Amino acid sequence: MAMKTFGPQFLERIYREKVVLSLSSVLGFIFCWYLITDILGLIPALFLPSPEKVFFTIYEKIYIPVGQSTLFGHVGVSLLRILVGTMIALGIAIPLGILMGWYEDLDSVMQPIIEVLRPIPPIAWIPLAILWFGIGLGSKVFIIGIGVFFPTLINTYMGVKFVDPILIKAAQTLGARDKDVLREVILPASVPLIAAGIRIGVGLGMMCLVAAELVAASSGLGYLIMLGGDDLKPELSITGMILIGIIGLLADTLILAVEKKVVYWKK
Amino acid sequence: MAEARKIRSRRRFILSILSVIVVLGGWFVLTMVLRWVPPAFLPPPQNILTDFFRLLNKSYVGHTLIGHTLVSLQIVLGGFLLAVLIGVPMGIMMGWFKRIEAIVDPLFQLLRPIPPLAWIPLSLLWFGIGISSKIFVIWLSAFVPCVINAYTGIRLTEPLLVKAALGLGVKRQRDLLREVAIPSALPVILGGVRIGLGSAWMTLVAAELLASDAGLGYMMQMARRALEPSIIILGMLIIGILGAIMARGLKMLEKRICPWVMDKER
Amino acid sequence: MKQDKIFADHVSVAYEKGDKNFLAVDDVTLSIQEGEFVVIVGPSGCGKTTFMNTLAGLVKPIRGKVFMDGEEITGPSAERGVVFQQFALFPWKTVFENIEFGLKYRGIPKDERSEIVRKYILMVKLDGFENSFPHELSGGMKQRVAIARVYANRPQILLMDEPFGALDAQTRTIMQEDLSGMFMMEKRTVVFITHSVDEAVYLGDRVIIMTARPGKFKKIINVTDDGLIPNRRNMGYDDVVNLKAFRELRGELWGLIKAEIVEKHIL
Repeated sequence: MAMKTFGPQFLERIYREKVVLSLSSVLGFIFCWYLITDILGLIPALFLPSPEKVFFTIYEKIYIPVGQSTLFGHVGVSLLRILVGTMIALGIAIPLGILMGWYEDLDSVMQPIIEVLRPIPPIAWIPLAILWFGIGLGSKVFIIGIGVFFPTLINTYMGVKFVDPILIKAAQTLGARDKDVLREVILPASVPLIAAGIRIGVGLGMMCLVAAELVAASSGLGYLIMLGGDDLKPELSITGMILIGIIGLLADTLILAVEKKVVYWKK
Repeated sequence: MAEARKIRSRRRFILSILSVIVVLGGWFVLTMVLRWVPPAFLPPPQNILTDFFRLLNKSYVGHTLIGHTLVSLQIVLGGFLLAVLIGVPMGIMMGWFKRIEAIVDPLFQLLRPIPPLAWIPLSLLWFGIGISSKIFVIWLSAFVPCVINAYTGIRLTEPLLVKAALGLGVKRQRDLLREVAIPSALPVILGGVRIGLGSAWMTLVAAELLASDAGLGYMMQMARRALEPSIIILGMLIIGILGAIMARGLKMLEKRICPWVMDKER
Repeated sequence: MKQDKIFADHVSVAYEKGDKNFLAVDDVTLSIQEGEFVVIVGPSGCGKTTFMNTLAGLVKPIRGKVFMDGEEITGPSAERGVVFQQFALFPWKTVFENIEFGLKYRGIPKDERSEIVRKYILMVKLDGFENSFPHELSGGMKQRVAIARVYANRPQILLMDEPFGALDAQTRTIMQEDLSGMFMMEKRTVVFITHSVDEAVYLGDRVIIMTARPGKFKKIINVTDDGLIPNRRNMGYDDVVNLKAFRELRGELWGLIKAEIVEKHIL
């Protein structure tokens, strides 16, 4: 492969080539999809709806309810569950993580309990959650909460415990007492890890949301996806999947943006 | 100095043991002595143990405990291995060859945000309630981290190392890839494989909760319907332990394959 | 007899590596009077930093005690300010906020604090960088912030661990002159660690040479008391360096240290 000169034209060409390839592959994908469903009729609509059908389903369901609510209703319910679950989990995980990192005795007491509970995937809690809380909001919030809880707890704990000791020493030799050190050094120093933990936790929480709504729900996007499968209307499933994907992306982007703002001192 | 450390670790140990005793004891008291919690809600701790031994030999909803475990493990490992075999090479190709990246990446990014679990109903529709539908979803959930990490690992290859290799006479793209990029990317790739395994395991549990006739998830669902929470908890613990063992196993494999990586955790 | 400002009484300090204990400082006794400038020189790893940390109250000796003004030192204090080798700047605080840190705990009101901070920023020649974050600064600049932070807090004792190590030769010379001049104006007690023999002879009232690990005091030279380089602090750096007395002293010290390095196979 001969090395050409790296003039600006060459790079321009590479960039254009990439864009062309990318665009054509996406368009090609959609075209193939169209081809095998509508045009050639290779796959019956029962198995895979055409892109057109999906589009219209989304449009239609904004007004016509499916299940018990319109599309926005389902989205709203899912969002509500995620928000409540996340808030409760963060409200417990972050303070607990900080205290465990700071007070070694509390760490010793909590560690065994956490080490036993942590490896259990949040999804494995679903049957128990349903047994305890029924099919309402409670079980969903519980599962999502567990999903968000552990990554956040671990990251917060690590953030506090592994603060560079020299920063603590510097503060002490400048006159700070123990409580000051906690507030002025440990907390700011652990913020990056806490923020990362929240992001991972919420990502996991979204997966838990889907799982919980698939297994036992009568509303929400997961329910929608499940309904599509049950009623042999895959366009509903695909609608739900697309929406969940979008929400997931938005949530992740949002948290990432907040993370960048909160950790303002890094490059 | 070292004595202070010993005292601290002994204190730690005692506190940990005490905590476990208090939790188990409290559990016992709540369920057996005070009877504040009905057994259909939370079983007394010893029930879990007795159920464990009982189910080792006796069948529950179709298989013994070992039977269910094996079913779950087989499906998980099948889907997982398939994902690694396809995902890692694909990620490497995407990372190294810009053209391949341009073609595959946009499709990948479109499908990525959809949680693998969300594919379950569609998968059931397409493949039926058999094993294939589960393997598909499990494959999908392990596939994504494998590809992403393989891609990232290759992309992060230090240009300095490539230059060094070029200066030492390595000429063909193929050799550069094999001798420099892939070894340097191995730690990241293996990390992705580990994430993929965890993801696969989670997806398996969900898949078994939804549509299965065997396996640990199925066992837990059935136990819920029969209001036998002790078996549910038993299932949860086994799933947790198996997950931890698999993760540990992979970590050890990582250490073997990449002995040059420094341990970042204290 | 006037009370020693600092008295280290047969102090031995150990540090842990893995699960073994190594002796870093071996039975060292030292009295420091108020207003003295003591420099400790020695080969790498000889225990100078560990000894200084013990004087600061950050490390407990396994044998012996350290006293300040007759009272045993049991922990760190703002009266024993430390300039760390690794800077230890708080990454989430600006240059201004870093230097201001200790002043808050002294109960100094905000306006006065600003004045003091600005004075020291000017002194270390970082004007213009008040609102920069540590990650935006070069190594030398970070070190100057670390120095200013401790200077501004006006501790009774200044413990400085290779504070000029990251500076380029020119800045280093200027900082040395500044420190020497400052020391003449506001007499404070300084314990200074360095690798550089030149720096030691230029700055120190007393120069202590430490042996390789486990560190003991090999030789103590009383530069000021014995009048070895008279009128040193009134002269500029290059004037002093060219004095015959300086060169002889430096030669003697370097010979001692080199012998340590060669004998104990450090290199």
